[in-house]
Amino acid sequence: MNTAMTKEELAKVLDQAVQDVTECTAGVRLHQDEQLPGEDLCTVQITFDKGFRTSLTLCADTGLLQRMACNSFHEESVSPEDLEEFSKEYFNVLCGRIAGAMYKATQVPAHFGPPMFYKGRYEPEGEVQFVLTYSDELNGGAQLIHHVPCSGEDGDGPDEV
Amino acid sequence: MSKRVMVVDDSRLVRVQLEDILAGTDYEIAAYCRSGEDAIARYAEVNPDLVTMDIIMQGMDGLDASEIILREHPDARIVVVSSLAYDDTFERAKAIGAKGFVDKPFHQEQLLKVFGEALS
Repeated sequence: MNTAMTKEELAKVLDQAVQDVTECTAGVRLHQDEQLPGEDLCTVQITFDKGFRTSLTLCADTGLLQRMACNSFHEESVSPEDLEEFSKEYFNVLCGRIAGAMYKATQVPAHFGPPMFYKGRYEPEGEVQFVLTYSDELNGGAQLIHHVPCSGEDGDGPDEV
Repeated sequence: MSKRVMVVDDSRLVRVQLEDILAGTDYEIAAYCRSGEDAIARYAEVNPDLVTMDIIMQGMDGLDASEIILREHPDARIVVVSSLAYDDTFERAKAIGAKGFVDKPFHQEQLLKVFGEALS
């Protein structure tokens, strides 16, 4: 059974999922570029605890997430609670899409825990494998960061990707 | 006459997406339930033509809730929706008696096709 994906293969899976899910759920088209997010940030993070020993973190401009939440909920503005709810649900769907794509590629079913939301920039401990940087047409920025958690932190799988 | 759909999902995002997708179609949302327990309690009262059932929710999961609803209401038509679509999940949903399976995020064409098949 193939349980390994190269970084390039995984990056392609993540990129496709980010673009599809963001457009489908929030009506925002993200494209990869070099522009880093600003200083007013929110972070949402998920740890895969079965199948793949991986943590995914989305660190995004608050304005971008607010715009996505407004589009999704059909509201002109959103409260901090709405923003957190949207961010968690969006990232949950995104990670589900990623896990499904990884399953198709490796036949390894993955499971991940509930999303965690933070104001500001948060990065879990562990080794950063790669970072995908995005912006939208209004220059809102986001970074999807793939970590491998510290050894022994979690995971019952063999499967560092 | 519109087909009445009971949505079982704890996600507001899904609720809004379903409202958007089903607007102007032959389906109307008859009730929302935020948990499997709520769906079991309200199924007879709502008496929907179709149920969309999320799998991972607080409390009882959607497959267990589907099993109980189908035991009590063998004619219930349940479409399982989830962002985690593994073969074993799909097989269990089919074994329980679910009529279809839809991935999140939804696309209208896919959703309406599965709804149509579930009701046929």
